[in-house]
Amino acid sequence: MGSEMQSVRSEKAGLNFAFREKLNSVAEGFRHNYCYQCGACVADCPAGNYSEVFNPRLILLKAILGFENELISAESEIWDCTNCYTCSERCPQDVRPIDVIIALKNICVRERKAPQFVGKVYESVMASGITTKMSSLVAKRREEFGLRPVKDVPVEELKKMIGLD
Amino acid sequence: MKYTPFFGCMMTTKYPQFEAAVRKSVTKVGMELVDVEGFSCCPDPIYFHASNKMDWYTVAARNLSLAEDVGHDIITTCSGCTATLSEVNLALREDSGLKDEVNKNLKKIGREFKGSINVRHAVTVLRDDFGLDKITETVIRPRGGLKVAVHYGCHLLKPSRVMRVDDPDRPTILENLLKAIGAEPIHHEKTLLCCGRACTTDSIPDQMVMDILENIQAHDADCMGLICPTCFDEFDVGQILLGRKYQKKFEIPIVYYFQLLAIAQGCDTGEVGLHLHKVSLDKLMEKVAA
Repeated sequence: MGSEMQSVRSEKAGLNFAFREKLNSVAEGFRHNYCYQCGACVADCPAGNYSEVFNPRLILLKAILGFENELISAESEIWDCTNCYTCSERCPQDVRPIDVIIALKNICVRERKAPQFVGKVYESVMASGITTKMSSLVAKRREEFGLRPVKDVPVEELKKMIGLD
Repeated sequence: MKYTPFFGCMMTTKYPQFEAAVRKSVTKVGMELVDVEGFSCCPDPIYFHASNKMDWYTVAARNLSLAEDVGHDIITTCSGCTATLSEVNLALREDSGLKDEVNKNLKKIGREFKGSINVRHAVTVLRDDFGLDKITETVIRPRGGLKVAVHYGCHLLKPSRVMRVDDPDRPTILENLLKAIGAEPIHHEKTLLCCGRACTTDSIPDQMVMDILENIQAHDADCMGLICPTCFDEFDVGQILLGRKYQKKFEIPIVYYFQLLAIAQGCDTGEVGLHLHKVSLDKLMEKVAA
């Protein structure tokens, strides 16, 4: 508890309740308002169990208190979430902590404060329709397995839908 | 019964042996696969989702609407695709405001999300639409005595509010599917632990994967059985990289469930690409091909 409180106190900006409004404006971000800090999300969190820093309850507390500089950053602990959804299983308040963490990540990306590789996955899907690359070796293997060739994705449709065209 | 398969990026461009195994095995149980053209990435439930949730809903809804045109339920074969397509399908069904917003985007390309089909992982469809006995009927080479350490991965089961497949803390679906082909499922202490792929600090997934592998070694399992190509990546090539990094010796063959099913149904190990795995399956192949 001592080191947790120290971490919470380390936000130099102090309390910033305006951040709640920002988080509320992102899909699923409003769920952080339901959190009453019971800590049910902590015990079975795999990232929490294998890391000194990661703690979903503390992330929610920082969101509630508006510790924006700690959360909205490429160095934030939010990027160590395993996306396993165990916290959502445990939460009695339907906060769905993972969904709040994703909302925080959406804000990081919007404000260009996310790790670089995050944007690369998005760009790959917008450029080729997929996250991976097809190699001639795998194309040949597909043929050997009697599988159909992989066709190009009509990426112009994706761009048009989200207004990137 | 007819289904539209959604194989996703990893399987089509990296592990075609898994797609081959699914196609060969599920059709023997009675699924008729109706392919749909034009699918994109599901899209990725970790980083695409982290980039922009509305775009994530939109791109997934386009995939769902392509399948809706044909009218059959989607079967997924990757836990990531299962997570994205199931969650978006339910979110848009539950929230008409969200559905309208996403449909405004889809309208730009002349499409509409209706919410008229379901999305389920192929293992769920096997259990629920066909049943364990029906699977056993297709087996001509029971895998008697083959000890398979079960790895669930996260998104077959969670979030359970969306997936509605099994008790996320005490699941039995994969154990039962393994028993149906005559294998012996090994449920170890870390069976339900995540593969850690989404963490950015390497030490976290490194320790998670090694913990799982060490538990499997302690149980003397012949292999690990799983249902997701991303988990496969973490454990197959990942096991070799971790062995080098931490000077440890792991030799645990990693097998995709549908490869085991196809082999039990009489396929050669080569037909489902067991020889392509990074961790040698030579010993396992002797055992399963006998």
